[in-house]
Amino acid sequence: MSLFLKLSWYFKSQWRRYTAAIVLLLGTDVLEMLVPWITGQLIDQVVANTLTNALLLRYVIVLVCIAVVVYGMRYLWRVFLFYSSFQLAETMRQRLYEHMTHMAPGFFAQHRTGDLMARATNDISALEMTAGEGVLSGIDGLVTGILVVAIMMIMINWQLTLVALLPFPFMAWYFVALGERLHIGFRDAQERFSDLNDRVQESVSGIRMVRAFGREQVEDENFLSIADKTAEANMRVAATDSLYDPAIFITVGSSFLLCISMGAWQIQQGVLTLGQLTSFTMYLGFLIWPMFAYGWLLNIVERGSAAYERIQQLLETESPVLDTGKVERVASSDVAIDIKSFTHIGSAMPVLHNIKIAVEAGHTLGIVGPTGAGKSTVVNLLLRYFEHPDCELKVGGVRLQDLSLQTLREQIALVPQDPFLFTATIAENIALGRPEASMEEIRAAAELASIDSDIMRFRQGYKTLVGERGITLSGGQKQRIAIARALLLDAPILVLDDALSAVDIETERRILRHLKEVRTQRTSIILCHRLTAVEDAEQIVVLNHGEIVERGDHYSLVQQQGWYAQMVDYQRLEQTVASGR
Amino acid sequence: MHQDDKHQQGVDLAALWRLLRYSLAYPRLLKEAGVLLLLATAGQVLGPVLIKIFLDDYVAAAHYPVGELTLLALAYALFYGLSAWAGYQNAMRFNQVAFSVVRTIRSQVFASVMRKPLAYFDHRPAGALVSRITNDTEAIKELFVQVMSSFVQNITLILAVFIAMAYLDLRLMLLCSVLLPTVTVVMYYYQRLSSPRYHWARSVLSRINASINEAIQGMRIVQMLNQQSRFSKQFRNISQEYFEARMSNMRLNAMMLRPLPDLLRTITLAGVLYYFGSQSFNTVVEVGVIYAFINYLSRITEPVVEMTQRLSFLQQAVVAGERVFGIIDEKGEAQAPSEYRIGPGKIQLENLSFSYADEHPILKDISFSIQPGQFFAIVGHTGSGKSTLMSVLLRFYPVKTGRILIDGIPLHQIDQESLRAQMGVVLQDPFISASTVRENITLGLPIAQSQVEAAAKQAQLHEYIMSLPEGYDTMLGERGGELSTGQRQLLSLARTLARQPRILILDEATANVDSHTEAVITRALNTLRGSTTIIAIAHRLSTIIHADQIVVLHQGQMVQQGSHLALLADEGLYRHMYELQMQKSQVQEAVVYPHPQS
Repeated sequence: MSLFLKLSWYFKSQWRRYTAAIVLLLGTDVLEMLVPWITGQLIDQVVANTLTNALLLRYVIVLVCIAVVVYGMRYLWRVFLFYSSFQLAETMRQRLYEHMTHMAPGFFAQHRTGDLMARATNDISALEMTAGEGVLSGIDGLVTGILVVAIMMIMINWQLTLVALLPFPFMAWYFVALGERLHIGFRDAQERFSDLNDRVQESVSGIRMVRAFGREQVEDENFLSIADKTAEANMRVAATDSLYDPAIFITVGSSFLLCISMGAWQIQQGVLTLGQLTSFTMYLGFLIWPMFAYGWLLNIVERGSAAYERIQQLLETESPVLDTGKVERVASSDVAIDIKSFTHIGSAMPVLHNIKIAVEAGHTLGIVGPTGAGKSTVVNLLLRYFEHPDCELKVGGVRLQDLSLQTLREQIALVPQDPFLFTATIAENIALGRPEASMEEIRAAAELASIDSDIMRFRQGYKTLVGERGITLSGGQKQRIAIARALLLDAPILVLDDALSAVDIETERRILRHLKEVRTQRTSIILCHRLTAVEDAEQIVVLNHGEIVERGDHYSLVQQQGWYAQMVDYQRLEQTVASGR
Repeated sequence: MHQDDKHQQGVDLAALWRLLRYSLAYPRLLKEAGVLLLLATAGQVLGPVLIKIFLDDYVAAAHYPVGELTLLALAYALFYGLSAWAGYQNAMRFNQVAFSVVRTIRSQVFASVMRKPLAYFDHRPAGALVSRITNDTEAIKELFVQVMSSFVQNITLILAVFIAMAYLDLRLMLLCSVLLPTVTVVMYYYQRLSSPRYHWARSVLSRINASINEAIQGMRIVQMLNQQSRFSKQFRNISQEYFEARMSNMRLNAMMLRPLPDLLRTITLAGVLYYFGSQSFNTVVEVGVIYAFINYLSRITEPVVEMTQRLSFLQQAVVAGERVFGIIDEKGEAQAPSEYRIGPGKIQLENLSFSYADEHPILKDISFSIQPGQFFAIVGHTGSGKSTLMSVLLRFYPVKTGRILIDGIPLHQIDQESLRAQMGVVLQDPFISASTVRENITLGLPIAQSQVEAAAKQAQLHEYIMSLPEGYDTMLGERGGELSTGQRQLLSLARTLARQPRILILDEATANVDSHTEAVITRALNTLRGSTTIIAIAHRLSTIIHADQIVVLHQGQMVQQGSHLALLADEGLYRHMYELQMQKSQVQEAVVYPHPQS
């Protein structure tokens, strides 16, 4: 229940709505209680033969009025209460999103996508339940319960009340127990279901083996055995779920029996009237909800607390990289890299050693080397994805930490290894960094990236939807769109992080030539596997095991007869084989 | 949210009927459920009648004979107890029918998917197929659990309540019966109004999920481009729209779903009381009747509301059913048993060309023949078509142009069983299931232990298996747990050898293994030579240098053919590939440099 305390900031901010909802709820409860009472009064007057036409009419009119007012109030409390709970979900969802926009990539590496998604969706729903249904079942359940019992005791007969209520505590206890069992059973069923999913996933992706070994029968049997387990788990849930109705039935039935027997005796004694007995049994029906609400509340609060904790924990996570820099302007686009040693957090092995590189403004730097040599790590340090006290990197002579993140990012246009496209049109994806760019500018960038003609071949051209819900593009097309996106920025420094791996050698050559033409006086840093991409670079460094092992321009490196020279030969041969010679 | 959020108004009645017909397979359960349902409903409806008798005949008359009253109380308790018991049993019968039906449909669609031609899988993402088999059948479950049982129970209850009302007071019943069509009309309009709102909220929700998902995956790009505030604002807009969609849903619910039927019920109650009151001026009325009517009134609106709420399940289930039936009805591979079996294992390809689904040709005019017991190799660079050739040889795809003959018989005429038994394959990525070593070798087929061991020995895995705590009965982990990549490949080799195939196909079986494992595999191949026809498809040339015959493919065409030495003597593709691989080991194993100065 401490969850309600933790959420008090929200209840306070919405106190007007919550107060209105609660007042309306109470009003509804009170008015609803009048209906059985009026019915009882009417019956008593019928029995006593004191009913007149005018009186009857008045009763009926009052009843109808109550019904209409109750209807209005029921509508209103729902609007107030659920508005507030939806608004809480809305607030938390936006906070989470906003928070994520401030997190450095390290944060996303630490949290699995599915986990983050679960917090932003399921956990927020659970929290919303607390602020809506939780408040409802807590307050309304309690109020209805107390009100009904009080009316029965004070207005009708307290002895009768006590006797009739005897079975109810059992029901409350039973509901809680059932709720727990249902919860466990449900979780089990979910697990079985995900087993089923895994099984099918395995079979479908292993279809070639199934076919090759003639295993269809065996697969069927395996699947059936898991499907059976799923069905059994579901059956258990259903069995528990089906116990609610008989429980309500037996409780209410025995309570009725008790109350009618006792009531009859009291009527005979003259302490109770028939009308009172009738309204009393109507009141009994009102008691089922509070008993149910109690079990429900426990469940909602339990889930809500866990959810709130997980959401808070995420919101309290600090970004691994803080935006503390103050410098807002950079005069030049030269880059200085001085890495004494770099070790990833939580790892003992340093991945980079003694990397010292200076790139003059307007020059191109190539970084090459075998997979795992640490090429991307150097670039990630330059992008300040992470940082380390032993690494000093400067752009335009200013240390990265002294630059505001915004300024640093304005200096660099990056084409990342895996070109990520958002669900939007191609034009929007290219103009991602400059949404105000004109169509001419977008097309010019696309032409530089040699993707314009591909785009024009799509039926909807630049308006074609791409990304997860759009059409599927080839890896090379995605890469070239990412290049166009970076070129549109016209930033002082361009970083290509293995960004040409999926385009063919002809296109690569064409793109590089375009770059050379338009990016005069701008700095480029190119990381690549295919060495042809760095042939024209003023400076090439070869990394191996986190160290610079060779350095120079293309010609001097070929002379050195080291890895670079061997790789050039190898790739030339590879080109020959690929062309079938 | 991977379900399609297509907004469909009507319901496909044919699919609904087909779904419901599945339950007819359980006539006994259905009959029992029917009887139990009647019992439960009768118990529920008769309770108030008994109380009415008690109130009118005894209490109102102030007449209390102990014997009769005890009997009445006992009858009441019996009715309630019986009703509770029958209600529970009835629900369980329904559940059993529901889960049995879902199990049937699941196994049907699974078996059907497992038997589809492989081309079927080429253009269908695995995730979508999995979702058909699991999520869609789960949605169908709700048709039986939520919709069918609820409709049958509630309609029976409403009918029974009206019968009881008519028995007690026909005119009062007619008065109350006005309620039912009114509530039904309200629910009809509710359904019409809520359906588009509900789908609106659903589709906005899936947009929210998609944009959170994109934010997580693409945040570094958003940050690099300094577009955080723009994305936040976009998200705020969607989130706000979701809020509005849900508010609109909620307002409609608040207006129509529960409060309105309650309002109508209270007004009906007022009508009943008025009728009752005005009657009392002329005749003697029975208080018990009014008691019973009040009781009954409270029971007829809720079922209608409940049925309305469950209509959305009906719609989803039918849509899911259509998709599932679409899969079940689509034709699988037609494989009639035939008399043709694989003999010694001679393979001939005559002018074979192949393309997937009429795209550009992958294999062009390939002809060669392999003698029984020969070691035959097919090599080529990435994209040369060698994997496709293997798929065609294994009859994963039908041959349309040219012929493949095995022992002189066209491949497609050979008996399925014989093909599977006599043609063994070792795939690139061995699949290890979470079961014992033995089961991983037999793959659930009846193979004698001696044969299993012989195969393990051939794959040089027997000793290792014996060193495991429980030998052949050791459980292997989910993804092959304790086995190294090489051992997993050897296990997969043993699995194939245990079947003692006449023809053995290796599909890049040595692509991902260390040189030790490769050596074991080549040695095993050498012992099989002469007795088994071997076709090895390899990128790694060291595996196949001992082959009798090597075919070199380039872009689907045979460009060279001969033995390793003969091919190496030519200045051509094979030699270049060979040189490339020799160099590759040099470039990949990092160059040793003199220690850097500093």
